[in-house]
Amino acid sequence: MAKKLSIFIAISLVLSLCDAFNLDNPSSRRILVLLDDFAIKSSHSLFFNSLQSRGFDLDFKLADDPKNALQRYGQYLYDGLILFSPSVQRFGGSIDAAAILDFIDSGHDLILAADTSASDLIREIATECGVDYDEDQSSMVIDHTSYAVSETEGDHTLIAADDFIKSEVILGSKKIEAPVLFQGIGHSLNPANSLVLKVLSASPAAYSANPNSKLAQPPSLTGSSISLVSVLQARNNARVMISGSLSMFSNRFFRSSAQKAGSSTKHQKSGNEQFFTELSKWIFHERGHLKAVNVRHHKSGEVEEPGMYRINDDLEYSVEIFEWSGTSWEPYVANDVQVQFYMMSPYVLKTLSTDGKGLYSTAFKVPDVYGVFQFKVEYQRLGYTTLSLSKQIPVRPFRHNEYERFITAAFPYYGASFSM
Amino acid sequence: MGMMSGKLGILKKILTSLPRQSKPSLITTVWSQDSPSQLKNYSLQNPRLVLFSFQNLKFLTLFDFDSHIVLISSFICFADMARNYVRFLALILAISICCEAAIFRPISESHRSAALDLFKPIDGSFSSLEETYEALRTFEVLGIGNKLDISASTCPSVVEVLGSSSSNLKTLFYALRNQRILKCALKEEILKGVSSKLKAAVNSASALPDFYHSIGGLVLIKDQTPEANVLLDDAEGVFRSIKALSQSDGRWRYGSNNPESSTYAAGMAFEALAGVISLAPSEIEQAVVATVKNDVVKLFDSIEKYDDGSLYFDEKIVNGHEHQGPIFVTSSVIRGVTAFAAVASGSLKLPGDDMLGLAKFFLGIGIPGNTKDLFNQGFHAIDSIPSSNCPFIDSERPAQGVSVSSVLGYNTPPLTVTLVQASSSSSKSASIIENQELKFDHDSSFHVLDALPKSVDIGKYLFTFEVVLNDSENEKVYATGGKTQVPIFITGVVKIDSPEIAILDSDLGSIETQKKLDLAGENSVTLSANHLQKLRLSFQLSTPSGKAFKPHQAIIKLRHESNVEHVFLVGNSGKQFEIILDFLGLVEKFYYLSGGYDIQLTVGDAVMENSLLKALGHIELDLPEPPEKAARPPAQPVDPYSRYGPKAEISHIFRTPEKRPPQELSLGFLGLILVPFIGFLVGLLTLGVNLKNFPSSAVPAIFAALFHLGIGAVLLLYVLFWLKLDLFMTLKALGLLGIFLIFVGQRILSHLASTSAKLKSGDLMTDFDPAG
Repeated sequence: MAKKLSIFIAISLVLSLCDAFNLDNPSSRRILVLLDDFAIKSSHSLFFNSLQSRGFDLDFKLADDPKNALQRYGQYLYDGLILFSPSVQRFGGSIDAAAILDFIDSGHDLILAADTSASDLIREIATECGVDYDEDQSSMVIDHTSYAVSETEGDHTLIAADDFIKSEVILGSKKIEAPVLFQGIGHSLNPANSLVLKVLSASPAAYSANPNSKLAQPPSLTGSSISLVSVLQARNNARVMISGSLSMFSNRFFRSSAQKAGSSTKHQKSGNEQFFTELSKWIFHERGHLKAVNVRHHKSGEVEEPGMYRINDDLEYSVEIFEWSGTSWEPYVANDVQVQFYMMSPYVLKTLSTDGKGLYSTAFKVPDVYGVFQFKVEYQRLGYTTLSLSKQIPVRPFRHNEYERFITAAFPYYGASFSM
Repeated sequence: MGMMSGKLGILKKILTSLPRQSKPSLITTVWSQDSPSQLKNYSLQNPRLVLFSFQNLKFLTLFDFDSHIVLISSFICFADMARNYVRFLALILAISICCEAAIFRPISESHRSAALDLFKPIDGSFSSLEETYEALRTFEVLGIGNKLDISASTCPSVVEVLGSSSSNLKTLFYALRNQRILKCALKEEILKGVSSKLKAAVNSASALPDFYHSIGGLVLIKDQTPEANVLLDDAEGVFRSIKALSQSDGRWRYGSNNPESSTYAAGMAFEALAGVISLAPSEIEQAVVATVKNDVVKLFDSIEKYDDGSLYFDEKIVNGHEHQGPIFVTSSVIRGVTAFAAVASGSLKLPGDDMLGLAKFFLGIGIPGNTKDLFNQGFHAIDSIPSSNCPFIDSERPAQGVSVSSVLGYNTPPLTVTLVQASSSSSKSASIIENQELKFDHDSSFHVLDALPKSVDIGKYLFTFEVVLNDSENEKVYATGGKTQVPIFITGVVKIDSPEIAILDSDLGSIETQKKLDLAGENSVTLSANHLQKLRLSFQLSTPSGKAFKPHQAIIKLRHESNVEHVFLVGNSGKQFEIILDFLGLVEKFYYLSGGYDIQLTVGDAVMENSLLKALGHIELDLPEPPEKAARPPAQPVDPYSRYGPKAEISHIFRTPEKRPPQELSLGFLGLILVPFIGFLVGLLTLGVNLKNFPSSAVPAIFAALFHLGIGAVLLLYVLFWLKLDLFMTLKALGLLGIFLIFVGQRILSHLASTSAKLKSGDLMTDFDPAG
């Protein structure tokens, strides 16, 4: 009996480990790290340590380990995947590009770092995520005006980038002062994919070319359309980070000082550590993950939720929104949450007012059109998960006895009929 | 020498004035990890700086005399005299130095800060003695041992472990290691007790870790208290029993009943064997020692290699749970081999290249992130150097070098650095410098190149250095690695002349509009052209010495209002750069998009100090209408900031209620309508009511009153029905009222009937007039 019980507990534990971002227990998440070489585990350990210190359970594997698997018996073994294996031609085990895309499609997160040696497999995964690496295998991002001043790099491929996306939710509320060091290949965003965002862009003078050979034709990627680090938030809120440089995660870049060419300020430490710590918090849903609870609506002056509204009723609508902070759900404060009263198209679209404790509410009059309406909250903000709430509610016209009983204009007629 | 000291004076001036350097542009590259004041210390303690001087320009470069050189920094300064007239002649050459693909950096300040980050004692102590030792040792190696003061908290536990009879070998071993560094106050008897316990353990040991820990412990006791009796009686037997665990490929087994062999264990075994030799009362038989040396050589056959030339050891069989990683294994082997080489008589010949490869491996790790790795990296570094028989020096680590010479009293041997060749990396032609020996300056410990030939222009060069030890005896001790190639960029300001932009007429080639540009300042040219015209942009580039210069990046970019971009390379012939955009041939490429285009010019190169990105201005293009089959311009990415903003509010527009007459009008007409009714009532009152026929006796009067009240109630019910009651309530009430009315009506009618019958039967029939 005890054995059966322990098996049951074990199974339920396994089941509980495999879900994607789990609203009830978002902590203690498992991440698979696929490496080209175990040396990366040590040379990039500051990045891994920052994840481990935030409670992530990292499982390091070689990318071509034949035992690699993302799922077993239809259940995912991991909640996130880090691909630090830019040169891998074929993954070991049951992992391939399709398996990784399925992994994302089921709401899991991915960090992918390529390098100048990026293999076709890595490029394919990136392309599926809306990011196209420069097709020229030997090209690197070169920038002759905002390179990082360095004692050993003379060909201006070590770039000090400071063109960040303006989003506190993605990069944290603390401004990244020091430039981020980058050395690797550039990529561009697929214009057809509206979900992918440039988090770190190259400067307008940058271009992507082979530093060791002369330019024979115009570079395919130039200026600030070159993205150095991009993120994608899929419709199912899975988050993906794609970087063109593996070395920017390394301890060497994390600890290195940074000085942008032409700038007199020399930062003791590059912005890489802050940048990736904050960005990985976003990637693994420690920030910007919203949930909406307690959606309520009622006629003004009442408390009970009616089954139906009459046209021209005054109603009040409220919803509570919370954001996951990594450890707990904190009230989400914003002034741009909007509710729609919707039937085929919005009849009413109103911004909700907040009390600063997560409660959003508003009051409006039901339109004088009857039919089946919906209360809709479609909250899409840069960096936040999409909130999509809808609640159906019918609206009826006046009943025969709900019209006005005595019309002043008819008083002469009443008088006439009574006085006859 | 006078000239030299003058240079050094300038150099010192740079170094000391760096913190308040107001013109950082004079310094092309600065020390990456340390503040300049620390750099000064390094430079004075380390014979690893090379000063190049060229005409009035001095270049200082931290330089390593080993191969695989780490060039740490370079400075430029130009003498005051030169500043006056050289400034605009663009003779400002700076030197910046670049290593090959893989860069191996020395142990530096970043390692120290990493160590301080990683080894953080909790409440003044570490969780275990092993961790304490790792922390102490790493800090000692990095030269920051004084930053960790944990002797007060650790010593009691060290003494307790050593005094306790139940401590196991491993704990004893680490306690002794800590004792070596902390030098806790300890009674002699305790050490004696420990040494006898360890000796007993050596004799009874069968597994390799037991040997390792007990022998290691004895060696530590021997080092600390030379008078202690730690010599092994049966050293040869112990030696053989450890050797018995070795495998044919140089690896070792952990124990006789553990068939798995391990490289890590080999390192442990070598260290244990070295301990046995040093603890042996008499010399161990040479033949046996020779077999171990053979094992070492065999082990080095299994060394693994990375692409960048670094070498490492790794376990062959990867067992998920036991895999310790290459750093761990390599560190163990190096430790073992160096310990063994230090005590074994006769030299141990290992290829110098292997040693350099291993050094590269440790440096290639960069800054390790966990304590074990940092410990192993640092541990290896210091442990390998004191052993003078090891043909290896960590000269790639200036910081490391300092600690070696100060702690253990080893001085860097005299050596010569030769610049074998310096050639331009682009043209394979003649080299600019050949076989020039760099002068060594004892005061500053720099190797100095006195003068670069005047023919040196800006560009990318490949300098080949060779390091030769002056004393051939030292060659047994140090590995130099032969020749080293260092790519060097000599940068300078490129002169840009006569930039101009013009619109040409296509057929005649005549210039319609021509504008001069100022590439140093702001430009906002406004041009307009149609598809029959051409745009010409031209400028000249020349190096400081007046030669033609072809930058890597010379790009003109036209951006349409709709963000569609077109990029063109600007070609050159000699100094002259020119591009002609013939819009007739480009209409299709431009997607027939008429309108404003921004023109942007980018000129940049790695050796060009004044790389520029300039907005030149604006051109208004008038292109023909697109034909039906023309390609559509590509979609541009949506701006994420505008995509996600809040939407405009929508409020419903309600139907306006029908227009009604004003209330006053309705009420006025109501009054008018009621006037005849009121007149009727007034008339009725003035006429007077005849109530003569109302029954006068009590009972019929009550019935009559009730009947009239009932009729009134029915009328009232009608009013209520009109006002608010529904039909059902009205009928119900009407039914009840009806029954009541029937009853009282029947009574009053019967009363009236009886009264009239009385009158008929009586005489006064005409007295009763029911009509009133």
